[in-house]
Amino acid sequence: MENQRTVADGIRLGLRALVYAVLGGAALIAVVTVVSVLGPMVALDLYTPPVAAWWTVFTAIAVQGVPFLLLGTVVSAAIGAFVPERVFTRLLPRREVLAVPVAGAAGVVLPGCECASVPVAGSLMRRGVAPAAALAFLLSAPAINPVVLVATSVAFPGQPEMVLGRLVASLATAVVMGWLWARFGREEWLRPPKRSGAPAPGGGPRAFVAGLQHDFLHAGGFLVVGAAAAATFAIVVPRSLLEVFTGSAWLSVLLLALLAVVLCVCSEADAFVAASLSGFSPTARLAFMVVGPMVDLKLIALQTGTFGRAFALRFSAATWVVAVAASVLVGWWLL
Amino acid sequence: MRRYGPAVLLALVGAAILRVSAFSELYLRYVQPGLRPCLVVSGVLLVLLGVVVAVLTRTAGKQDHYDDLDQDLDDQDHSHGHDHGPVGPRVAWLLTLPALALLLFPPPALGSYSAQREADQRAAQGVGSFPALPSGDPVDLTLGEFGSRAVYDSDRSLEGRTIRLTGFVTRDDDGTWYVTRLLVACCAADATTARAEVRGADAPPVDTWVTVTGTWRPEGALGSDAAWPPVVDAASVRQVAQPDNPYEKR
Repeated sequence: MENQRTVADGIRLGLRALVYAVLGGAALIAVVTVVSVLGPMVALDLYTPPVAAWWTVFTAIAVQGVPFLLLGTVVSAAIGAFVPERVFTRLLPRREVLAVPVAGAAGVVLPGCECASVPVAGSLMRRGVAPAAALAFLLSAPAINPVVLVATSVAFPGQPEMVLGRLVASLATAVVMGWLWARFGREEWLRPPKRSGAPAPGGGPRAFVAGLQHDFLHAGGFLVVGAAAAATFAIVVPRSLLEVFTGSAWLSVLLLALLAVVLCVCSEADAFVAASLSGFSPTARLAFMVVGPMVDLKLIALQTGTFGRAFALRFSAATWVVAVAASVLVGWWLL
Repeated sequence: MRRYGPAVLLALVGAAILRVSAFSELYLRYVQPGLRPCLVVSGVLLVLLGVVVAVLTRTAGKQDHYDDLDQDLDDQDHSHGHDHGPVGPRVAWLLTLPALALLLFPPPALGSYSAQREADQRAAQGVGSFPALPSGDPVDLTLGEFGSRAVYDSDRSLEGRTIRLTGFVTRDDDGTWYVTRLLVACCAADATTARAEVRGADAPPVDTWVTVTGTWRPEGALGSDAAWPPVVDAASVRQVAQPDNPYEKR
């Protein structure tokens, strides 16, 4: 009995293997034939100038983002692994209302564009910094660091008020958003940036590597999502189309503020783009530079990855409104 | 094997970055020359990180099993929007798209298609005087500088000089053709166009790279719309290879 069953099992197994091999082999041959014959034809047909331009813009944003993302994740992993929590509690004022402006002004020290600031803000929260203060840092760091301010002064020669306006409006937006979060923000919107797979909070080099690996891959994936969105907009909506709307002052502010969201230019370069939009009023261009480093498709994707979608959508929408209001006020005062 | 996913991914991204920045000039199709050191350092760091992560994954052995269990529990805790497979963030696999594109078939530099869709870059903002042109006959100018001087220079420094411009060919429907270059401030996503109309020579095929030698022909009043785009009377048009850096610095 036992033997017979083993033999029958063996035969059944053999038959099944044979069927799988034949079916799988046939399918494989079919796929290979179709792909090798049709593939080049389809690929050539699909590889039109717009598609080629899409790939170029897409890879360009990704390539441009990688060094800054790596810088940001190295800093954030180092904070997570090597800086004890008490450092931050000692550096930042105990009261949230005071901690927000201090954290916002501290944005000066991180010389990178917005890709770097999201993971750093996430790790600040993990290290016990009040979310309101970490968010103020998240918004101000890419907008007011020295590299960006120098780029702005180069792009607008002889117009120091543009640099000052950018500094004031960006810092104001960051601080107001921090206070708004402290007053109205809800913990449940903010998925705590917990990191799965990381070793216990012991710290040390191992935690550093684990944090770096996870944060970079995670944020990198969302950078790719943002790059794809930005490239699609760049190909579908030519910038020259937007120059049609330069007539109305109000419309042009709103338009450039929206353009900043879809173009996803790095904060280190957006001043040059703003300078090239010469048909628009100075206030509209200021709005472009204030909104750009704080709200854009790439950032929304990165924030979704780090803090969750419920947070990213609410926070970005509110930031956009506050940033536009701040640039209009500062523009009216300074420009 | 899947445990090594993150390590492979890191090394792949690093290799792609190194392939375009350290082992070729291809990165110039996407970003500015100044970013090269950052790219090389990032590439090396990513490859090293991939190796370290692979070694850690290997030595972790049994302990990794518990981590996997932890992760599964974590996933149930906050499954919304934070998709973690058993081997790290799933969204990270999207990084293979740009990485493989760079490794296997690096996308080409932007050309006439983008140039015809973007607004002209009008660099200088008002009529004024410019620093003296460098000596040399012919004098090599970027299309950005040629445009600025042709339209805004009250000293008319281009007058009487033979100039040489390099760019690719674009055409209007009515047959006018231009030598064109894209201006980039940071990466190819922010490209704008600078171009000069070429007269006195037959148009080469669109997207051919050419060097045009000739003289400036003033058109319209300084600073007016009629002065755009600037015009060059061509003495010679020579086909050239695409330069390493296909863009001009804005």
